[in-house]
Amino acid sequence: MDSKKKIATVCLGGCSGCHMSILDIDERILDVAKLADIVKSPIVDGKEFPEGVDIAIVEGSVTSDEHWHEIKLIRKRSKFIVALGDCAVMTNVTGMRNYFPLQEVIDEAYKNSVSNDAEGAEPNDPALLKLHDKVVPLQEVVKVDFIIPGCPPSADTIFYVLFEFLNNRIPNLSEVNKLKYG
Amino acid sequence: MQNITIYIDDKKLEVESGKTILEVCRNNNIEILTMCHLEGVLDVGACRLCLVEIEGVNKLLSACTTKVAANMVIRTSTERIKRYQRITTELLFAERNHMCSVCVANGKCELQNLGYKVEMDSIRYPRLFPQCEVDTSHSWYVLDHNRCIMCTRCVRVCSEVEGAFNWSVKNRGYQVRIISDFNTPWGESTTCTSCGKCLHACPTGALWPKAIVQGQLDKKPEIIEELMAKRKMGL
Ligand code: SF4
Ligand code: SF4
Ligand code: SF4
Ligand code: FES
Repeated sequence: MDSKKKIATVCLGGCSGCHMSILDIDERILDVAKLADIVKSPIVDGKEFPEGVDIAIVEGSVTSDEHWHEIKLIRKRSKFIVALGDCAVMTNVTGMRNYFPLQEVIDEAYKNSVSNDAEGAEPNDPALLKLHDKVVPLQEVVKVDFIIPGCPPSADTIFYVLFEFLNNRIPNLSEVNKLKYG
Repeated sequence: MQNITIYIDDKKLEVESGKTILEVCRNNNIEILTMCHLEGVLDVGACRLCLVEIEGVNKLLSACTTKVAANMVIRTSTERIKRYQRITTELLFAERNHMCSVCVANGKCELQNLGYKVEMDSIRYPRLFPQCEVDTSHSWYVLDHNRCIMCTRCVRVCSEVEGAFNWSVKNRGYQVRIISDFNTPWGESTTCTSCGKCLHACPTGALWPKAIVQGQLDKKPEIIEELMAKRKMGL
Protein backbone atom coordinates (compact mmCIF):
# COMPACT_ATOMS: atom_id res chain seq x y z
CA MET A 1 0.00 0.00 0.00
CA ASP A 2 1.20 3.46 -0.85
CA SER A 3 1.37 5.42 2.40
CA LYS A 4 2.66 8.56 0.77
CA LYS A 5 0.76 11.76 1.44
CA LYS A 6 -0.69 13.81 -1.41
CA ILE A 7 0.36 17.44 -1.73
CA ALA A 8 -1.20 20.02 -4.04
CA THR A 9 -0.04 23.60 -4.59
CA VAL A 10 -2.27 26.26 -6.13
CA CYS A 11 -1.80 29.90 -7.11
CA LEU A 12 -4.91 32.12 -6.82
CA GLY A 13 -4.57 35.93 -6.60
CA GLY A 14 -0.81 35.99 -6.21
CA CYS A 15 2.26 36.81 -8.29
CA SER A 16 3.74 33.27 -8.23
CA GLY A 17 6.50 34.58 -5.97
CA CYS A 18 5.45 32.18 -3.22
CA HIS A 19 5.74 29.31 -5.71
CA MET A 20 9.24 30.56 -6.58
CA SER A 21 9.98 30.23 -2.89
CA ILE A 22 8.65 26.66 -2.95
CA LEU A 23 11.07 25.93 -5.80
CA ASP A 24 13.87 27.43 -3.70
CA ILE A 25 13.59 24.41 -1.43
CA ASP A 26 16.04 23.03 -4.01
CA GLU A 27 17.34 19.52 -3.36
CA ARG A 28 15.30 19.24 -0.18
CA ILE A 29 12.39 18.52 -2.53
CA LEU A 30 13.85 14.99 -2.55
CA ASP A 31 13.15 14.69 1.17
CA VAL A 32 9.61 15.81 0.47
CA ALA A 33 9.30 13.37 -2.43
CA LYS A 34 10.19 10.46 -0.15
CA LEU A 35 7.15 11.20 1.99
CA ALA A 36 4.69 12.69 -0.48
CA ASP A 37 3.54 12.93 -4.08
CA ILE A 38 2.84 16.31 -5.62
CA VAL A 39 -0.46 15.60 -7.36
CA LYS A 40 -1.26 19.11 -8.54
CA SER A 41 0.79 22.26 -8.97
CA PRO A 42 1.39 25.00 -11.54
CA ILE A 43 4.75 23.34 -12.11
CA VAL A 44 3.23 19.88 -12.64
CA ASP A 45 0.17 20.29 -14.87
CA GLY A 46 -3.04 22.23 -15.31
CA LYS A 47 -5.73 19.65 -14.54
CA GLU A 48 -8.68 20.15 -12.21
CA PHE A 49 -7.95 20.04 -8.50
CA PRO A 50 -7.97 16.30 -7.61
CA GLU A 51 -9.85 14.51 -4.81
CA GLY A 52 -8.23 13.12 -1.69
CA VAL A 53 -5.48 15.69 -1.22
CA ASP A 54 -3.81 15.65 2.20
CA ILE A 55 -2.12 19.06 2.16
CA ALA A 56 -3.19 21.89 -0.15
CA ILE A 57 -0.76 24.80 -0.20
CA VAL A 58 -2.52 27.87 -1.52
CA GLU A 59 -0.81 31.08 -2.62
CA GLY A 60 -2.73 34.30 -3.28
CA SER A 61 -5.95 35.96 -2.22
CA VAL A 62 -9.51 35.55 -3.49
CA THR A 63 -10.00 38.28 -6.10
CA SER A 64 -12.68 36.84 -8.43
CA ASP A 65 -15.47 34.33 -9.00
CA GLU A 66 -12.94 31.83 -10.32
CA HIS A 67 -10.79 32.01 -7.18
CA TRP A 68 -13.87 31.76 -4.99
CA HIS A 69 -15.05 28.54 -6.65
CA GLU A 70 -11.53 27.12 -6.71
CA ILE A 71 -10.88 27.64 -2.99
CA LYS A 72 -14.30 26.14 -2.17
CA LEU A 73 -13.39 23.09 -4.27
CA ILE A 74 -9.96 22.88 -2.65
CA ARG A 75 -11.60 22.94 0.77
CA LYS A 76 -13.95 20.13 -0.20
CA ARG A 77 -11.19 17.94 -1.57
CA SER A 78 -8.38 18.55 0.94
CA LYS A 79 -7.82 17.48 4.51
CA PHE A 80 -5.57 20.40 5.26
CA ILE A 81 -5.23 23.86 3.75
CA VAL A 82 -2.06 25.89 4.22
CA ALA A 83 -2.38 29.60 3.36
CA LEU A 84 0.98 30.53 1.87
CA GLY A 85 2.20 34.13 1.84
CA ASP A 86 0.93 37.58 2.76
CA CYS A 87 -1.55 37.77 -0.16
CA ALA A 88 -3.30 34.57 0.92
CA VAL A 89 -3.16 35.59 4.59
CA MET A 90 -3.89 39.34 4.55
CA THR A 91 -4.36 40.29 0.85
CA ASN A 92 -1.11 42.28 0.79
CA VAL A 93 -0.44 43.92 -2.61
CA THR A 94 -3.56 42.43 -4.20
CA GLY A 95 -5.63 44.20 -1.52
CA MET A 96 -4.29 47.63 -2.45
CA ARG A 97 -7.15 48.01 -4.91
CA ASN A 98 -9.61 47.66 -2.04
CA TYR A 99 -9.34 51.38 -1.31
CA PHE A 100 -10.98 52.18 -4.66
CA PRO A 101 -14.22 51.24 -6.43
CA LEU A 102 -13.56 48.35 -8.86
CA GLN A 103 -14.55 50.27 -12.00
CA GLU A 104 -12.07 53.04 -11.15
CA VAL A 105 -9.32 50.45 -10.87
CA ILE A 106 -10.23 48.85 -14.22
CA ASP A 107 -10.41 52.25 -15.93
CA GLU A 108 -7.04 53.15 -14.48
CA ALA A 109 -5.48 49.96 -15.82
CA TYR A 110 -7.11 49.73 -19.25
CA LYS A 111 -8.21 53.27 -20.19
CA ASN A 112 -6.32 56.00 -18.35
CA SER A 113 -2.92 54.38 -18.22
CA VAL A 114 -0.43 56.07 -20.55
CA SER A 115 0.76 52.73 -21.91
CA ASN A 116 -2.62 51.94 -23.45
CA ASP A 117 -3.66 52.40 -27.05
CA ALA A 118 -6.17 55.13 -27.87
CA GLU A 119 -9.39 53.15 -27.32
CA GLY A 120 -8.29 51.47 -24.12
CA ALA A 121 -10.74 48.59 -24.33
CA GLU A 122 -11.72 46.79 -21.15
CA PRO A 123 -11.17 43.00 -21.56
CA ASN A 124 -14.58 41.30 -21.55
CA ASP A 125 -14.17 37.82 -23.04
CA PRO A 126 -16.68 35.53 -21.28
CA ALA A 127 -13.87 33.04 -20.56
CA LEU A 128 -12.12 35.58 -18.33
CA LEU A 129 -12.60 35.55 -14.57
CA LYS A 130 -14.93 38.17 -13.08
CA LEU A 131 -13.22 40.38 -10.53
CA HIS A 132 -14.94 40.80 -7.16
CA ASP A 133 -15.43 44.29 -5.75
CA LYS A 134 -13.09 43.57 -2.86
CA VAL A 135 -10.14 41.22 -2.49
CA VAL A 136 -10.28 39.01 0.60
CA PRO A 137 -7.82 36.63 2.28
CA LEU A 138 -8.47 32.88 2.07
CA GLN A 139 -9.72 32.55 5.63
CA GLU A 140 -12.61 34.90 4.88
CA VAL A 141 -13.99 32.31 2.42
CA VAL A 142 -12.99 28.92 3.83
CA LYS A 143 -11.51 27.47 7.00
CA VAL A 144 -7.72 27.56 6.78
CA ASP A 145 -5.74 25.07 8.86
CA PHE A 146 -2.29 26.58 8.87
CA ILE A 147 -0.93 30.01 8.02
CA ILE A 148 2.50 31.00 6.69
CA PRO A 149 2.75 34.79 6.28
CA GLY A 150 5.60 36.47 4.40
CA CYS A 151 6.08 38.08 0.99
CA PRO A 152 7.27 35.59 0.08
CA PRO A 153 7.83 33.18 2.95
CA SER A 154 11.39 31.86 2.83
CA ALA A 155 12.13 28.44 1.36
CA ASP A 156 13.41 27.41 4.79
CA THR A 157 10.07 28.23 6.36
CA ILE A 158 8.11 26.41 3.68
CA PHE A 159 10.30 23.35 3.97
CA TYR A 160 10.10 23.41 7.76
CA VAL A 161 6.28 23.47 7.67
CA LEU A 162 6.02 20.76 5.02
CA PHE A 163 8.52 18.51 6.73
CA GLU A 164 6.78 18.80 10.09
CA PHE A 165 3.38 18.00 8.58
CA LEU A 166 4.74 15.08 6.56
CA ASN A 167 6.17 13.65 9.77
CA ASN A 168 2.84 14.10 11.52
CA ARG A 169 4.01 16.97 13.71
CA ILE A 170 2.34 20.38 14.02
CA PRO A 171 4.75 23.17 13.07
CA ASN A 172 4.96 26.33 15.19
CA LEU A 173 6.38 29.35 13.38
CA SER A 174 6.73 31.50 16.51
CA GLU A 175 8.66 28.83 18.32
CA VAL A 176 11.27 28.63 15.57
CA ASN A 177 11.33 32.39 14.88
CA LYS A 178 9.97 32.03 11.38
CA LEU A 179 7.06 34.47 11.53
CA LYS A 180 7.58 37.21 8.93
CA TYR A 181 5.45 39.76 7.09
CA GLY A 182 6.70 41.42 3.93
CA MET B 1 11.70 58.90 47.87
CA GLN B 2 10.06 56.41 50.11
CA ASN B 3 10.35 52.70 49.34
CA ILE B 4 7.28 50.49 49.09
CA THR B 5 6.67 46.79 48.63
CA ILE B 6 4.84 45.50 45.57
CA TYR B 7 4.37 42.11 43.96
CA ILE B 8 4.81 41.52 40.23
CA ASP B 9 4.11 38.05 38.84
CA ASP B 10 4.54 36.63 42.37
CA LYS B 11 7.90 38.34 42.82
CA LYS B 12 8.25 40.57 45.88
CA LEU B 13 9.92 43.88 45.03
CA GLU B 14 11.07 46.87 47.05
CA VAL B 15 10.60 49.90 44.80
CA GLU B 16 10.58 53.66 44.96
CA SER B 17 7.09 55.11 45.17
CA GLY B 18 6.09 57.52 42.44
CA LYS B 19 7.33 55.26 39.64
CA THR B 20 5.02 53.85 36.99
CA ILE B 21 4.45 50.11 36.78
CA LEU B 22 6.23 50.19 33.41
CA GLU B 23 9.35 51.83 34.86
CA VAL B 24 9.49 49.29 37.66
CA CYS B 25 9.06 46.38 35.24
CA ARG B 26 11.75 47.65 32.88
CA ASN B 27 14.15 48.14 35.83
CA ASN B 28 13.53 44.56 36.88
CA ASN B 29 13.71 42.92 33.45
CA ILE B 30 10.02 42.11 33.34
CA GLU B 31 8.87 42.41 29.75
CA ILE B 32 5.95 44.72 28.98
CA LEU B 33 4.90 45.30 25.39
CA THR B 34 4.58 48.98 24.49
CA MET B 35 3.99 51.03 21.36
CA CYS B 36 2.97 54.58 22.30
CA HIS B 37 5.50 54.75 25.13
CA LEU B 38 8.73 56.50 24.15
CA GLU B 39 11.59 57.20 26.53
CA GLY B 40 12.04 60.96 26.78
CA VAL B 41 8.44 62.10 26.34
CA LEU B 42 5.34 61.94 28.52
CA ASP B 43 3.07 58.89 28.49
CA VAL B 44 -0.49 59.12 27.22
CA GLY B 45 -1.73 55.53 27.42
CA ALA B 46 -2.92 55.48 23.83
CA CYS B 47 -2.05 52.03 22.46
CA ARG B 48 -3.30 49.80 25.31
CA LEU B 49 -0.56 47.23 24.74
CA CYS B 50 1.00 47.60 28.18
CA LEU B 51 -2.13 46.50 30.05
CA VAL B 52 -1.58 44.69 33.34
CA GLU B 53 -3.86 43.00 35.86
CA ILE B 54 -3.98 44.46 39.35
CA GLU B 55 -5.58 42.49 42.14
CA GLY B 56 -8.79 44.12 43.33
CA VAL B 57 -9.19 46.16 40.15
CA ASN B 58 -11.69 44.82 37.66
CA LYS B 59 -10.39 46.41 34.51
CA LEU B 60 -6.94 46.13 33.06
CA LEU B 61 -4.77 49.23 33.55
CA SER B 62 -1.99 50.59 31.37
CA ALA B 63 1.41 50.08 32.98
CA CYS B 64 2.84 53.24 31.40
CA THR B 65 0.34 55.57 33.08
CA THR B 66 -0.36 53.76 36.36
CA LYS B 67 1.87 54.42 39.34
CA VAL B 68 2.85 51.72 41.79
CA ALA B 69 1.22 51.79 45.22
CA ALA B 70 2.11 49.99 48.44
CA ASN B 71 1.19 46.28 48.43
CA MET B 72 -0.02 46.33 44.82
CA VAL B 73 -0.28 42.83 43.34
CA ILE B 74 0.40 43.05 39.61
CA ARG B 75 0.31 40.42 36.89
CA THR B 76 1.89 41.06 33.51
CA SER B 77 1.51 37.91 31.43
CA THR B 78 -1.73 36.11 32.14
CA GLU B 79 -3.69 34.43 29.35
CA ARG B 80 -6.19 37.29 29.47
CA ILE B 81 -3.44 39.87 28.92
CA LYS B 82 -1.91 37.86 26.09
CA ARG B 83 -5.30 37.57 24.43
CA TYR B 84 -5.82 41.34 24.61
CA GLN B 85 -2.32 42.06 23.31
CA ARG B 86 -2.98 39.89 20.28
CA ILE B 87 -6.36 41.52 19.62
CA THR B 88 -4.92 45.03 20.01
CA THR B 89 -2.10 44.23 17.60
CA GLU B 90 -4.46 42.79 15.00
CA LEU B 91 -6.67 45.87 15.25
CA LEU B 92 -3.65 48.13 14.74
CA PHE B 93 -2.97 46.24 11.50
CA ALA B 94 -6.62 46.14 10.44
CA GLU B 95 -7.39 49.84 10.86
CA ARG B 96 -5.15 51.31 8.13
CA ASN B 97 -3.29 49.82 5.18
CA HIS B 98 -0.28 47.76 6.12
CA MET B 99 1.28 46.08 3.09
CA CYS B 100 4.69 45.33 4.55
CA SER B 101 6.14 44.05 1.27
CA VAL B 102 5.85 47.50 -0.32
CA CYS B 103 6.47 49.57 2.81
CA VAL B 104 9.62 51.58 3.37
CA ALA B 105 9.85 50.30 6.95
CA ASN B 106 9.73 46.60 6.02
CA GLY B 107 12.14 44.73 8.26
CA LYS B 108 12.77 47.79 10.45
CA CYS B 109 9.31 48.31 11.88
CA GLU B 110 8.20 48.23 15.52
CA LEU B 111 4.70 47.19 14.48
CA GLN B 112 6.01 44.16 12.59
CA ASN B 113 8.12 43.18 15.59
CA LEU B 114 5.11 43.53 17.82
CA GLY B 115 3.20 41.15 15.52
CA TYR B 116 5.95 38.56 15.88
CA LYS B 117 5.99 38.98 19.68
CA VAL B 118 2.27 38.34 20.04
CA GLU B 119 2.53 35.46 17.54
CA MET B 120 0.18 37.07 15.03
CA ASP B 121 0.05 34.86 11.93
CA SER B 122 -3.00 36.58 10.44
CA ILE B 123 -5.51 39.35 11.05
CA ARG B 124 -8.81 37.87 12.18
CA TYR B 125 -10.82 41.06 11.80
CA PRO B 126 -12.16 42.54 8.57
CA ARG B 127 -9.82 45.28 7.43
CA LEU B 128 -11.15 48.78 6.86
CA PHE B 129 -9.00 49.61 3.80
CA PRO B 130 -9.51 53.38 4.21
CA GLN B 131 -8.35 55.74 1.45
CA CYS B 132 -5.41 57.46 3.11
CA GLU B 133 -3.34 60.41 2.00
CA VAL B 134 0.39 60.48 1.58
CA ASP B 135 1.78 63.95 2.29
CA THR B 136 4.98 64.43 0.26
CA SER B 137 4.92 68.23 0.37
CA HIS B 138 7.86 68.59 2.76
CA SER B 139 11.17 68.92 0.89
CA TRP B 140 12.83 66.04 2.73
CA TYR B 141 10.19 64.06 4.61
CA VAL B 142 7.04 62.01 3.95
CA LEU B 143 3.96 61.42 6.12
CA ASP B 144 2.10 58.31 4.96
CA HIS B 145 -1.24 58.01 6.78
CA ASN B 146 -1.61 54.44 5.49
CA ARG B 147 0.97 53.26 8.00
CA CYS B 148 0.13 55.51 10.97
CA ILE B 149 -1.06 53.78 14.15
CA MET B 150 -1.89 57.01 16.03
CA CYS B 151 0.62 56.41 18.79
CA THR B 152 1.18 60.23 18.84
CA ARG B 153 4.89 59.80 19.51
CA CYS B 154 5.55 62.37 16.74
CA VAL B 155 3.16 64.85 18.35
CA ARG B 156 4.83 64.60 21.74
CA VAL B 157 8.38 64.71 20.42
CA CYS B 158 7.67 67.76 18.31
CA SER B 159 6.09 69.66 21.18
CA GLU B 160 8.00 68.39 24.23
CA VAL B 161 11.49 67.99 22.82
CA GLU B 162 11.73 70.26 19.78
CA GLY B 163 9.20 72.78 21.08
CA ALA B 164 7.87 73.33 17.57
CA PHE B 165 4.27 72.10 18.04
CA ASN B 166 3.87 71.23 14.36
CA TRP B 167 1.88 68.02 14.85
CA SER B 168 -1.53 67.54 16.35
CA VAL B 169 -4.55 65.31 15.96
CA LYS B 170 -7.89 65.82 14.19
CA ASN B 171 -11.15 63.84 14.29
CA ARG B 172 -12.02 60.80 16.40
CA GLY B 173 -12.48 57.08 15.99
CA TYR B 174 -11.45 55.54 12.69
CA GLN B 175 -11.28 59.01 11.08
CA VAL B 176 -8.61 60.22 13.47
CA ARG B 177 -5.57 61.67 11.68
CA ILE B 178 -2.27 63.35 12.47
CA ILE B 179 -2.20 66.91 11.11
CA SER B 180 0.56 69.42 10.42
CA ASP B 181 -0.10 72.96 11.69
CA PHE B 182 -3.80 73.71 11.14
CA ASN B 183 -4.43 70.76 8.83
CA THR B 184 -2.27 72.09 6.02
CA PRO B 185 0.39 70.36 3.92
CA TRP B 186 3.55 69.64 5.92
CA GLY B 187 5.66 71.47 3.33
CA GLU B 188 3.76 74.69 4.09
CA SER B 189 4.28 74.45 7.83
CA THR B 190 5.36 77.64 9.57
CA THR B 191 6.25 75.77 12.77
CA CYS B 192 8.23 72.72 11.58
CA THR B 193 11.97 73.31 11.93
CA SER B 194 12.78 70.25 9.80
CA CYS B 195 14.68 68.79 12.73
CA GLY B 196 13.63 65.23 11.85
CA LYS B 197 12.97 64.12 15.42
CA CYS B 198 9.46 62.92 14.60
CA LEU B 199 10.90 60.55 11.99
CA HIS B 200 13.05 58.87 14.61
CA ALA B 201 10.18 58.77 17.10
CA CYS B 202 7.74 57.15 14.68
CA PRO B 203 7.60 53.36 15.17
CA THR B 204 6.30 52.53 11.69
CA GLY B 205 6.63 53.49 8.04
CA ALA B 206 4.37 56.52 8.54
CA LEU B 207 7.17 59.10 8.83
CA TRP B 208 10.36 58.75 6.83
CA PRO B 209 12.99 60.69 4.93
CA LYS B 210 12.67 60.85 1.13
CA ALA B 211 16.37 60.13 0.75
CA ILE B 212 16.08 56.44 1.63
CA VAL B 213 14.71 53.28 0.07
CA GLN B 214 13.25 50.11 1.58
CA GLY B 215 15.74 48.25 3.72
CA GLN B 216 17.78 51.35 4.55
CA LEU B 217 15.48 53.00 7.06
CA ASP B 218 17.48 53.65 10.18
CA LYS B 219 15.29 54.99 12.95
CA LYS B 220 16.83 55.73 16.31
CA PRO B 221 13.99 56.28 18.77
CA GLU B 222 16.51 56.02 21.61
CA ILE B 223 18.06 59.40 20.69
CA ILE B 224 14.89 61.13 21.88
CA GLU B 225 15.72 60.33 25.50
CA GLU B 226 19.24 61.74 25.09
CA LEU B 227 17.94 64.87 23.40
CA MET B 228 15.36 65.38 26.13
CA ALA B 229 18.01 64.99 28.83
CA LYS B 230 20.13 67.63 27.11
CA ARG B 231 17.15 69.93 26.78
CA LYS B 232 16.46 69.63 30.49
CA MET B 233 20.07 70.60 31.20
CA GLY B 234 19.57 73.62 28.99
CA LEU B 235 22.01 72.42 26.32
S1 SF4 C 1 4.41 50.26 8.90
FE1 SF4 C 1 5.33 48.32 9.54
S2 SF4 C 1 3.59 46.93 9.74
FE2 SF4 C 1 2.89 48.67 8.53
S3 SF4 C 1 3.22 48.07 6.40
FE3 SF4 C 1 5.07 49.17 7.07
S4 SF4 C 1 6.43 47.52 7.74
FE4 SF4 C 1 4.39 46.65 7.68
S1 SF4 D 1 10.77 67.71 11.73
FE1 SF4 D 1 10.95 68.41 13.89
S2 SF4 D 1 9.83 70.31 13.92
FE2 SF4 D 1 9.23 69.30 12.04
S3 SF4 D 1 7.43 68.17 12.56
FE3 SF4 D 1 9.12 66.77 12.88
S4 SF4 D 1 9.66 67.01 15.03
FE4 SF4 D 1 8.39 68.73 14.49
S1 SF4 E 1 2.97 59.31 12.30
FE1 SF4 E 1 4.16 57.69 13.33
S2 SF4 E 1 4.65 58.58 15.34
FE2 SF4 E 1 3.01 59.81 14.48
S3 SF4 E 1 1.15 58.91 15.33
FE3 SF4 E 1 1.50 57.97 13.33
S4 SF4 E 1 2.64 56.10 13.78
FE4 SF4 E 1 2.77 57.38 15.59
S1 FES F 1 2.56 51.86 26.05
FE1 FES F 1 1.08 52.05 27.60
S2 FES F 1 -0.72 52.43 26.52
FE2 FES F 1 0.80 52.42 24.93
